[in-house]
Amino acid sequence: MRLLLVEDDAMIGSAAQQGLRQEGHAVDWVRDGREAEAAAANGVYDLLLLDLGLPRKDGLSVLRSLRAKGMQVPVLIITARDAVSDRVAGLDAGADDYLVKPFDLDELAARVRAVMRRHAGRSAATLRVGSLEIDTAARQVRWKGRDVALSGREYALLEALADRPGAFLTRAQLEERLYGWDEEIASNAVEVHVHALRRKLDPAIIRNVRGMGYSLVPDA
Amino acid sequence: MSIRRRLLVWLLAAVLAGGLTAAGVVFFQARAEANDLFDYQLRQLALTLRDRTFIPSEFAEALQGEEALDFAIQVWGADGTKLYESHRSLRVPGAVQLGFTTQDSPSGRWRIFAIQQRGLTIQVAQPVVVRDRLAVDAALRTLLPFVVALPLMGLLIWRLVGQEMKVLESTASAVARRTPESLEPIATRSVPAEIQPLVLALNGLLGRLGAALSGQRQFIADAAHELRTPLTALKLQLQLAERARDDAERERAHAMLGEGIARAVRLVEQLLALARLDPDAPARRDALDLAILAHAVAQAHAARAAEARLTLEADAQEPVPVRGDRAALETLLDNLVDNALRYTRAGGVVVRARREGPGAVLEVEDTGPGIAPGERQRVFDRFYRGESAPTGGTGLGLAIVKRIAERHGATVELGDGAGGTGLRAVVRFP
Repeated sequence: MRLLLVEDDAMIGSAAQQGLRQEGHAVDWVRDGREAEAAAANGVYDLLLLDLGLPRKDGLSVLRSLRAKGMQVPVLIITARDAVSDRVAGLDAGADDYLVKPFDLDELAARVRAVMRRHAGRSAATLRVGSLEIDTAARQVRWKGRDVALSGREYALLEALADRPGAFLTRAQLEERLYGWDEEIASNAVEVHVHALRRKLDPAIIRNVRGMGYSLVPDA
Repeated sequence: MSIRRRLLVWLLAAVLAGGLTAAGVVFFQARAEANDLFDYQLRQLALTLRDRTFIPSEFAEALQGEEALDFAIQVWGADGTKLYESHRSLRVPGAVQLGFTTQDSPSGRWRIFAIQQRGLTIQVAQPVVVRDRLAVDAALRTLLPFVVALPLMGLLIWRLVGQEMKVLESTASAVARRTPESLEPIATRSVPAEIQPLVLALNGLLGRLGAALSGQRQFIADAAHELRTPLTALKLQLQLAERARDDAERERAHAMLGEGIARAVRLVEQLLALARLDPDAPARRDALDLAILAHAVAQAHAARAAEARLTLEADAQEPVPVRGDRAALETLLDNLVDNALRYTRAGGVVVRARREGPGAVLEVEDTGPGIAPGERQRVFDRFYRGESAPTGGTGLGLAIVKRIAERHGATVELGDGAGGTGLRAVVRFP
């Protein structure tokens, strides 16, 4: 998944970015409210991680203006403000969840998953498509009852496709989900990951239609 | 002894003294009046007897029995023989001279009037004690209402004073109700004028206490909030270090962790420095030279400046003697130079110390981005960080600078650097 991290503190920002990347997310990181608005405007993000005390434009204002523009992207607030009134204000402004500093990387990852699940209309952490079973919390994939070990990017690609079985995602869309701005993308990166998934699961599990993109075949 | 008891004793004593004085006055007045009156009677009686040329002996005998009679009459013939004596049992002194006399005798003191007529000496005498008793009676009658009223007044005083003292009690309980959480002033409306200064002084104290407390509370809240940022970074960095899959990754994570710890340590040190700078405590008055201080601080930051490819020089030719807290002033200059190096990307930093009139000036100038005029006051607020503030700062440096300057009676001003770019911080000592 592609996340936008909005955090003005360099140390927290870089550590959170690194931690979330290890979870297989593509993470773009901006340091102030204006940049956050500009970045969010292109609509490629699956989730926003938003600090509230930001330079130039504070987090709540960013959130309100996003919602005012009708953007439905899930937002997880990360802040040091822990007063109940702050939480209420954040949630009322349109946030999906609220995480208070100092937080744990594992908790952050779990909240990201939970918010994404809720957003997708699922409440269970396990995604089932045909013989494919994805435990999004443990990032475990089972194919026809046996565990399959996937790399971070392979997992992210599979989860992106399994999220809406049968729907097509273009190569560009997949690249956006897998890589942040500052990450180098090999021109055939998606093909490489798709190939690996077909090899590890089933050659027919991912369909590639020219001009349409890739989709998961549920009953392969 | 309580005010109530003291008031009771003194007021009752005053009342009693008043009563006694009144009784004394009445006593003397009554005695003077009685003297006049009885003297007149004595005289009248003597004159009446004089007009009677004879005294019937039966009458004399009859008078004999009236022991209660106040007047004792004696009549002598021309040859000095006693012709008549009304109270033989009483040893009334004999006539010594004509007119009024007062004589002491074994039977007491007597007031005597004597008159001579055709060879007869007529003397009428009255014991003085009769007159005194009259005066004493009058005095006691005067005193009586005071004595009767005394317990009543005591009760009244006790009650009234008690009632007035209730204001004190209610003020005391109002003070007792004050806690560090509720220091609102005590109402002065129903407080009597005598207690008003006390309550007003107390309210002043409560106000100052409240301000100091809320300042402390705000500081602690701010500090706790500010500590969260470096702690969050530490927690994340530690987890990254734990998750590292190879040595290179682990090394990177540890380097980040080290930076995070250094930042947390710096914040804690700055917080402590600020907390130690109690605004009410007097500053030390060491004799020191700002020129030496400028060189020393520049020296201390030389390596860092070189690493950032910035020039750092101290411009202080002559000694600049001032009196102050050496360690605090070093912290002040250290913070200014630290800020200058932190913000400056290219160019350099100059530290100057010079005499100016009777005072001294310490100056740090950089070629960084400067601070917009609108922000130049706010940057002295605790934890305020400018929009373009680089990371790693604590937001406390300038607050500490300001606090130290204030303790030395010095002022801090932020202005443009030479040529309109950069920042110049000027500390002026009186």
